[in-house]
Order: sequence, then structure tokens, then C-alpha cells
Amino acid sequence: MTKTTDKNVQNTSPIKQKGQWKSFLNYIVIGGILIFFLIFSMVGGMKSSTQYLLEKIAIAMILAVSLSMVVGFLGELSLGHAGFMCVGAYLGGKTAVLLVPALGNGLPTLLISLVVGGLSAAICGIIVGLPALRLRGDYLAIVTLAFGEIVKSIFMNSSSDSFGGALGLKTPRYDRNSLFIFSFVLVLLTLAVVQNVIRSRHGRAVTAIRDSEIAARATGISVTRYKLIVFAMSAFFAGIAGVLYSFSNQTVQSVKFGFNYSIEILVMVVLGGMGSINGSLIASALITFLNVRLATVLTGNLAVLQNLIYALVLIFIVIYKNAPSLSGLREKMRFQNLLHKNKKPKGSE
Amino acid sequence: MDFITTFINGLSLGGIYAMIALGYTMVYGIAKMLNFAHGDIIMVGGYTILVVLNLCGNPILATIAAIVLCVVLGVVVEKLAYKPLRGASNLAVLITAIGVSYLLQSLAQIIFGSASKMVNIANLGVLQVGSIKIQGYTLFTLICTIVVMIALTLFIRYTKLGKAMLAVSEDRGAAQLMGINANRIITITFIIGSALAAVAGLCTLMKAPSINSTFGAMPGIKAFTAAVIGGIGSIPGAMLGGILLGVVESISNKITVIAPYTDAIEFGILIVILLIRPTGILGKKRREKV
Amino acid sequence: MKKFTKAMCLVCVLALAVTAFAACGGAKSNSYTANNTEFVIGMSGPLTGGAAIYGTAVRNAAEMAVEEINANGGLNGTMFKLVAMDDKHDASNIATNYASLYEGGMQVSLGTVTTAPGLEFKTYANDDNVFFLTPSASGDDIPEFETGYQMCFADGNQGKVAASYVNENCKGQTIGVFYKTDDAYSKGIFDQFKENLDASITTVDTSFNDATATDFSTQIDTLKDCKFIFMPIYYDPASLFMTQAVGTIANDAIYYGCDGLDGIDSKEGFDINSIPQEVSMLSHFNSKATDGPSAEFIQKYVAKYGADTLNQFGASAYDCVYAIYTAMKEAYEADNSSIYVTMSASELSDILKAKFQNGFTFTGVTGDGKEISWEADGTVNKTAIKYIIKEAD
Repeated sequence: MTKTTDKNVQNTSPIKQKGQWKSFLNYIVIGGILIFFLIFSMVGGMKSSTQYLLEKIAIAMILAVSLSMVVGFLGELSLGHAGFMCVGAYLGGKTAVLLVPALGNGLPTLLISLVVGGLSAAICGIIVGLPALRLRGDYLAIVTLAFGEIVKSIFMNSSSDSFGGALGLKTPRYDRNSLFIFSFVLVLLTLAVVQNVIRSRHGRAVTAIRDSEIAARATGISVTRYKLIVFAMSAFFAGIAGVLYSFSNQTVQSVKFGFNYSIEILVMVVLGGMGSINGSLIASALITFLNVRLATVLTGNLAVLQNLIYALVLIFIVIYKNAPSLSGLREKMRFQNLLHKNKKPKGSE
Repeated sequence: MDFITTFINGLSLGGIYAMIALGYTMVYGIAKMLNFAHGDIIMVGGYTILVVLNLCGNPILATIAAIVLCVVLGVVVEKLAYKPLRGASNLAVLITAIGVSYLLQSLAQIIFGSASKMVNIANLGVLQVGSIKIQGYTLFTLICTIVVMIALTLFIRYTKLGKAMLAVSEDRGAAQLMGINANRIITITFIIGSALAAVAGLCTLMKAPSINSTFGAMPGIKAFTAAVIGGIGSIPGAMLGGILLGVVESISNKITVIAPYTDAIEFGILIVILLIRPTGILGKKRREKV
Repeated sequence: MKKFTKAMCLVCVLALAVTAFAACGGAKSNSYTANNTEFVIGMSGPLTGGAAIYGTAVRNAAEMAVEEINANGGLNGTMFKLVAMDDKHDASNIATNYASLYEGGMQVSLGTVTTAPGLEFKTYANDDNVFFLTPSASGDDIPEFETGYQMCFADGNQGKVAASYVNENCKGQTIGVFYKTDDAYSKGIFDQFKENLDASITTVDTSFNDATATDFSTQIDTLKDCKFIFMPIYYDPASLFMTQAVGTIANDAIYYGCDGLDGIDSKEGFDINSIPQEVSMLSHFNSKATDGPSAEFIQKYVAKYGADTLNQFGASAYDCVYAIYTAMKEAYEADNSSIYVTMSASELSDILKAKFQNGFTFTGVTGDGKEISWEADGTVNKTAIKYIIKEAD
């Protein structure tokens, strides 16, 4: 909550004085959950599986929010988000490996690794962003896909002393009782940065580029600069998520960060609704939860049903949410319309 | 000599990529969507060949059955999963395509199990020219590719339907105004794409006669790459891109030092080509209008 | 609209919190096994995705062993239960899988089926002191901690043994090697093999990975002059390689592999006799056995699940379950009170570790019918034989 408008809403935001607090609802909710689980784990009532689930959800949230910047706000399709995460996971993880003997496996190591992982991913983001200045739409998408696969291949074939090669990089483990809390703090931080950028002048410039690049250029917006900034920021947070991943797992194996993982993140963003940060948050939490639940419930013989159910859920939700012919049904089934059946629906909504 | 063999192997691998890439590129050109389930249509075709071959042992019948089933599946998927989303954002369609891909893969695993199965279609022997040995299946794939390409080019250029397809891909709105039923054209595109996928499945099985549920996933992505290299939406581009990719893969596999990096090299070439020609080798430059 | 999104957000997140809360319950302790009515054996393996065949084989065979044990009255009337979770050959699924197995009352484990996830699993198992005996995660580091044991040979050992075989039989020759770069098993054997290879032998190295696994014609072309081809890969790509190579690779060449090749002759639709070359391997399990316990296992397995998933993974898993059962039974017979159904994983682990480190031996379907024992470091000590799966034509 770095925004000054939080305290003196009256002065800075004359348009929407009432209900300004709602812009911060997502911080409040996530902060609330954080405190809830913090107390819960202090009491000692937390199972390990819940902790791992929360870590996964936090990582997914950071990934979805960061990808949402590129896909939802800049309007470019990225199919290689996992590649940035891979860079962060490997370089951050390696930093941690090197730092642990000197600094111990504590917060300083984690913080330095986060910075290193995030920045190296951001540099990659700028490198990938450069073609974005020349390429459009699906051509850019395939370049990001190619980048992800190249990164994967390079780490895969690294020597065993450097990044572990096919066996993966062994990374130090962070205290599991506090990692999930730390992860959620990072979610809040990510949210604070991303949301503030998007609600700022710069964010409006980015959405202007999305809506019409030519018009944006004509109004004097530096398209080049903004595209690079968005790619770098998005990659930075993906890198952060990667470092978290390396701390929550004992090995980082590059096979994980392939095309399929990038797609999984993209699914979260699309299901959450393009350009909706809250949507991305909810979708990432629900999808992660659904996948973990399916894996826990469907064991043994039934394991093959996991993907089947996931696929069906995916298809139905996307069609239900997007099909033009179902717009009438959607309107009818909307929550507020169901709740206020007797009241007149508000026109503006 | 070695180089010639490597090159021919690359050509035939590229032929397979090209056939799959044609499916991607036509669907993209006409329906403006990335059909990520295309690779899995190949898998379905492969399994059909396996089943029919086990039933009657006739490879030609098996191929026909595979083509028919793939076409039916392609049309059903198009009607159920993609058509409701016509007019919605491209990304939504992309996600359903991915959903369809997962669905087909898991169904295949449920039906056929997790073990990969060998499919012995026909032994075509080895052709020996001087000191060069060329496998029969390599030639078969090459011939298939050439036939398919010529047929497709003729179809697009000289039939009414082909011209209509071209028109829809150029400008759907204008084509509809000229009385072309765009929905019908899209369905036909899916039919052709799926039939090509079945043929690609046949060629892949001739070359690599082992099939499991992820059979089409990797060739699918490679072919997508090939389609983009050639300029997505362009039919000769898909052929060129596919063959280029196949040759590069083959040569890179040949050189021991860089062999582990083969996929990185392929994707690296993609990036370089796109940087030089942002819409692929044969892609059309689109000037954006205000 | 905005207001409403927020409200939805709140509702959903709260719902999530409530579910997570429901999943909490109970203090973190070793009391998860307190309500067990059966001994719970947990495992994690790839049951879906590209590596599903290996996980399926292990699960099937382990299930079969458990059913047999139960049919024979279990351990003094107490039954066993196998819980198999799917990790998709992805290490990042292990934390969740392990936790749900452990919280689901797992007392002893078969670890993971593949190496990469196993590197994750071993640490969790060590934290909670859960004994695991893995049938097929052959990475050298898998038994790093004291709770981890292997039923299969470690990759490094296999590489060394293969190298010494080649050193003896191919002095001064040029041999071909075909390995998979993105597979810990293949790469592990390959590295050790190269390290221990005699200087007089030159190698022609070729490789593939998941992205290039459909077409081997270039690799085959590179290897066409080699008379001896070492392929430390699994049988699935190997069968493909051999089929594609018919006619290019000399008919008197020898294909030589490690235990990963096992199962090649039972792959559906693949006729090993269509391969003119000799196919041999170094393995702990003879899938062509016609008598003895191996043959019996093969017969039962094929009758139950069919031949297409029969391989050494399954045989090894079958042995793992029986080895654990035998060790528990011996402990029970020595001291009636030491083994009970609600005992914690840690208690059982201490007993099993003591047994496995102090000369516990076991005879099963792998290891050529001879005794299997374990080294102090958790690696297995059993007989491996060079099986000729198919003679040269």
C-alpha cells in the first residue's frame, strides 16, 4: 500500500470518492488470508500439504499477475512465460547455493537470490522485448515460445557443476513453515507494484498501446519504451516466482519450464479475464487448487481422469464465458442479477 | 555422401512437418485461430491406422479410415468447441483448443493405455543408389508430401472452392458480401487440415512406427514453428518452413557437438528469420490502417 | 460491474480459505497413522503423460503383490494397501504428493518410479523418517539419506559395469553410443560409461531428446559403420531406433543396453525377431524366463494386465513390496509387539532400516533368483546378467 491516495482520497481522486477502498480490496483480502494462516500456523494446526498448496498458489498468483501485464494490458500474446521463470529459478537458485555457506539459509540469502533471479529474468525480458518492437501478434507469440524452449535446452545441457544438467540444480530449502508466508508477502508486493503501475499514467499509456498502437504513437506515447518496460517488469516478477520455486523445491529441473507450463499460466490469465488483475488472482488460485485436489483425489487407476476433467472444465468455462450466443444466459446467471432479482439491474454495470 | 543422406532424411522429416504445418496455416489463414489441438488429430489418425490394421491388415483401408475419422473429428471439434466462440476473442479459442488437446490425449490414454504400441504398416525396404542408402519410408514420405502439395496448390488455384477459401482468408467480410458462406469455408478448411493430419500421421508412423497418447504433441509444436517460419497463413510458406526445419533438425542431429542443442538451434533459427522478415519468409506484409 | 467483481473476488477467496481450513485440522504430528486399519504403502510415479508406461508398470505390479499378500492373510491378519499418486514425471508435484501420502497414513513407501522426482522425494522422506525402497529410481543420489534404498542398480554402477564389459570385449574398436540428453537415467549411465572407458576405444556419440524423438534416421546414419552400439536408454525409443535401423546398421552389429532395454520384447506390435542384429543387455530381470519365480511373475502379470506393460520396472516393484513385507514379517516374528497396524512411519522406518543394514536378504523375481542384499549406503547388491534378448540372425 504505497499509494498516497490511500490516506487522502478526497484530495487526489475527485472522480471516485466513494468506494475508493474497493480498489484495495485485493490487498485486504490477501492480507487477511495471510494473517489468518499466519496465526493458524503459529498455533501449529497447519498440515504440510496445506503449506505446499499455499506456496504453489502464491507462485501461480505472481506468475499470473505478471503475465497479465503482457497479455491483458499490453495486448501481446506470450507463450514463453515459463522461460523467464526458468531463468529466475536457475540463477536465483544458483545464487542461493553460492550464498548459503557464507550467509546461511536465511532471509538475506533469499532476498539476494530474489533480486538476482528477478533482475536476470528482467534482462531476458528486455532481450525478448526487442523483437516485440518489430513483430506483431502471433509472430511475437512464437518468438516467446522459442525463447522458452531455448532457455530450457541450454539449462538442460549445462554441465553438472554449473547448473546440474539433466539431473537439475540442487537448491537449498527454505524453512517450510515460513516460506508460504513469505510467498504471500511477495504476492502483495507484486500486486502493489503492478497495480500502481497500471493505474498510473504509464499504465494508461500501455493500455492505449493495446487498444490502438497507431493512435498511441500519434499521441506521442513512446511505444518502444513502454513495450520494453512491460516485458522487463513481467519477466522480473516471473523470475521472482522462479526463485520462490527454487526455494520451495529441492531441485530445479528445466523440463518443468516447457511450453506446457507457459500455457498453464496463460490459461489462468485468460480464465481470469483479460486485463483483470483480480480475475488472474482468483483463476490462478482456483486452477492450482483444482489441479492439486484432482491429483490427491484421483490416485492409482483413476489418475488418467485428471486431465480429462481438467480439459472438460477448461472447455466449458471458456465457452460459457466467451461464447457470443450465450451472452443472454450469462446475463441471466449473473450473480448480482440472481441476488437482486426483484431490483432493476443497474445500467452501468 | 553422408551429407546427401542427411539432407534426404531432413527433406522427408521436413515433409511431415510441412503437412502438419499446412493444417495449422490454413486454419489460421481462414479462421484466424491457432489450433493447438491439430497435433492430437495426428495422434487420433495414428491410432485409427493401428486399430484398422489390426482388424483387417490392409494399410490402404487403414489410411482411408484414418482420413475419414480425422475429418469427422475435425468437424465435430470445430462445431462443438470452436464455432460457439466465433466472434469472441482469439485467446478464448486458443484456450479451448488447448482444452481439446488435453481431452484427446487423456481419452487416448484411457482407451489405449499408457504403453506405446508398434504399428507395422508396410516394409518398403531400402533403396541403394551408389553408396547412398535411402530408406523406403523416407521416399514414401517425400512422395506423399510432393503429391499433397501439388494437389493442394491446384485445388486452391483452380477450383471455385479453393478460390473462395483464398477470398475468405484475404477478407472475410468482403467474401461474405460476395455470397461466400464463410462458416462453410471454415468447415472445409478443417476437413482439409484434418485429412492432411491423418496423412501426416501415416507418414510419421511409417518412419517412427510407435504410437502413444503424446504422439502428435511434439510434431505439432514443430509444425507450428514451421508454419510461422514460412509465414503463417501462407500455404507455400508452410511447405518451405516445414522442409527448412526438417533439414536443419537433421543436420544438427548429425553434428555430435551441437546435437543436444538441436531444438534450441531450430527455435534460434526461427527467431533470426523473424527478426529479418517479421512476417515469416513468405508471409504477407500487412499495413495497418488507422 | 467493478463492485461486483470485487465481491466475487471476496467470495471466492473466502471459499478457498475455508476449504484450505477444512484441510488443516489436527496438529502436525506423527498421529496420521493412528486410524489405520491396514498397512499403507505409498508411491508416486508417472501415471499419465509421456512416461506413464513406467509408472503404470510399477503400480500394476505393486498392486498385484499387495493383492497376493492380502489373499494369503496379510501380515498376521492385517492387510496392506497401496496408494499410488501421479507425479507426471515432474518433480514439482512431489511436495504435494508426498504430503498427501504422509498425511493419508503412509507407513512405508516405494518412493518414486523415476529419478528426477525421486531427488525431491528422498528429502521429504528423510525429514519425516519414512523408509522407502524404490523399484526403479536409479539415480546415484537417490539413497543419499539413510531412509532411501534401491531395488534397481544405480546408474553410475550400470555405466561402470557396461564400460568394463566393453573394455574387455571391444578393445581398440570404434563403438557407437546412442543416449538421451534430457533423461537423468540415460545421461547418468552415459557419463559414467565414458569416464570408465578404456583409452583404446573410440566412441561415436549420438543423442536425442524429447523434442527430437520421432526421427532417428540421422543418428542411425552416423552409427552405420559401428559394430557395437551401446544404448543406455529405455526400450520404447530403443525399439523405434532398431526398427528404423533395419537395413542401415550392419546385420552383425550388436545392440547392448542396460536394464532400461528390458521389456523390449514384450512391446505390443514390436517383433524383436524382425531385428537382424543381436540385442543384449545387462539386467537384473530376465523377461524371457521360462521357469522359476521370474516366469511365474511374468505369467501372473500378463494374465492380469496384459503383456504390453510388462517390464523390469514392474518386476522390481513386485520385489520391493515383497521385500518390505518379508522384512516386516521377520521383524514381527522376532518380536510380536514391534509391528502393529497403527505404528507410525518413523517407528516402522527404524525397524526396516535396522533390518536392511544388518544383512537382510531376500530372493525375488529379479536378481536371477539369487539372494538380494543391500549395502550400507542403500544401493542394492544383486546378480546382474548379460541377457541376450535376441541372437544375431
